Amino acid sequence: MSQVLEPYIYEGGIHKHGLILELLEDIGGYLVQKTPAATEVTLIMLIPKDDVPLVEDLAKKLLGKVTRAPLTGVEIAVVSPTLAYHHLPHSACDIAEHLRRDGANTNMIGLARGMGRRVANLNNYEGRLINEHDIALYSFGIFRDCIKTKKMKLFEGINIPIIVTGGPEIATEEVPGSDLYIGNIGRIPHRMRKSDELDALDTMNKKVGELIDSIRDDLSKDPLVTIPARVMKEVHEQVPAINKVLTPSPITLQLDGLRIKLPYDEYKSKIHHIEFDEGFILGDIANISPSNMKNYILVKIKRESDIGFSI
Amino acid sequence: MEPLEKFIVESEVDSEAQSYKMVMEDIISDLNVLSSIGRIYVSVRPKESVFVMAIILRKSFSPIELQDFAEVNIELSDKKKIVLSVKSEKYLPKTLELLWSRYGKHNILQPDRRTIKIICEDPHKEIEYIKSLVIDDPQTTLKSKLLELSIRAAPEGFRVRNQQFFDSKFLFVASEENIETHWIEEAKEMLKKLEEA
Repeated sequence: MSQVLEPYIYEGGIHKHGLILELLEDIGGYLVQKTPAATEVTLIMLIPKDDVPLVEDLAKKLLGKVTRAPLTGVEIAVVSPTLAYHHLPHSACDIAEHLRRDGANTNMIGLARGMGRRVANLNNYEGRLINEHDIALYSFGIFRDCIKTKKMKLFEGINIPIIVTGGPEIATEEVPGSDLYIGNIGRIPHRMRKSDELDALDTMNKKVGELIDSIRDDLSKDPLVTIPARVMKEVHEQVPAINKVLTPSPITLQLDGLRIKLPYDEYKSKIHHIEFDEGFILGDIANISPSNMKNYILVKIKRESDIGFSI
Repeated sequence: MEPLEKFIVESEVDSEAQSYKMVMEDIISDLNVLSSIGRIYVSVRPKESVFVMAIILRKSFSPIELQDFAEVNIELSDKKKIVLSVKSEKYLPKTLELLWSRYGKHNILQPDRRTIKIICEDPHKEIEYIKSLVIDDPQTTLKSKLLELSIRAAPEGFRVRNQQFFDSKFLFVASEENIETHWIEEAKEMLKKLEEA
């Protein structure tokens, strides 16, 4: 990759935020997500590393705030055993919200039959849906025995990295099937706002960030042909229908691809034929398939070793 | 949360019992039943797949009749109307609902917020019925709240449940497996301990 991109979040007033977007375009950065809320706006961006001070200076002038968002460009499935009161809205939603603060895109997945010890299971569709994400984060309860011996049935068929949150302090090795265990976030039926609860969530974000860094390291050994943000930019320019999609993030970036929230049957051909200046089309460098989430389009970018070159 | 007279939560691991106590506290305050519950004893053992709870209530509540919060008379000018002067608006929606269902909306007049007039054929016969009409039964409300509390408090997978109400006592056993009789006996023992405490 010719330039290293750093993920940042800009939070500030909507007034003159266009200047940030113009600067971002000039320096060759990417806007991942823009969330306007009344007079405020949140921009999630990928900025070339050397030019970060330029954006910071401009943000200062606009009285906005730029913070690093290490989870940008990652789609995380926050899996709760069911959608019942026992898990939602706290603590599963609090976990998802905290991950989003660092730039991650999260999808809440409530399993149909994930509760209990003997009867807990994961059905085929749920498994396929979870596998479309970069990381699965399971939010479990407070009983050590359940987490260590019973709940791993919910990991069957999942081939993406698995993070588990729960109440007790347990070593990751003691939770079979998981890549990372994070304690002190168990069953909490109130909004997590006490200092120790927020500390636990901060620790979670830090550990998830470390796991993502290690996944990125693995990925860099055999890099993608192009970065997902570049594909996103081309989709925005060549498929205007994406600008009319009303979901919060019409294109969701993943570590090795992206989810485009347009109907597959109608737009598969347009997406397939997206052209790159370098002289090839998206269909050549990515696998385009229907997503298990609604009828969206899932694009997984091929590796350099598959194609023989990278952009 | 104001203190309960007795609040015991037991589990196989002490730290888990402490966490569960916090969960129980949240649920009790969410459901607003703190003033009704006097003593509570919970034992949860995930390895054995059992959740046992015993509760002693603070006091029993009698049903609220219409005459407890309203004056009921026959209107002097029109002998086919019964007039209610409501002192507390708390029960007004429920009262109207019950009266509408018995007499029909067109026979219930409400000239001002606290006055209700009922048009009926035989007010002398109806007036006794209306006076003793049960508008709210805190005991029933409390029972449903206790059941809600139990379902929320027990681990979600424990879908086989057994509950027993006595005057001011409540027992609840839940499990993922068939309920064993000795668990119910255990709940009764826990109730005894609470009574002695």
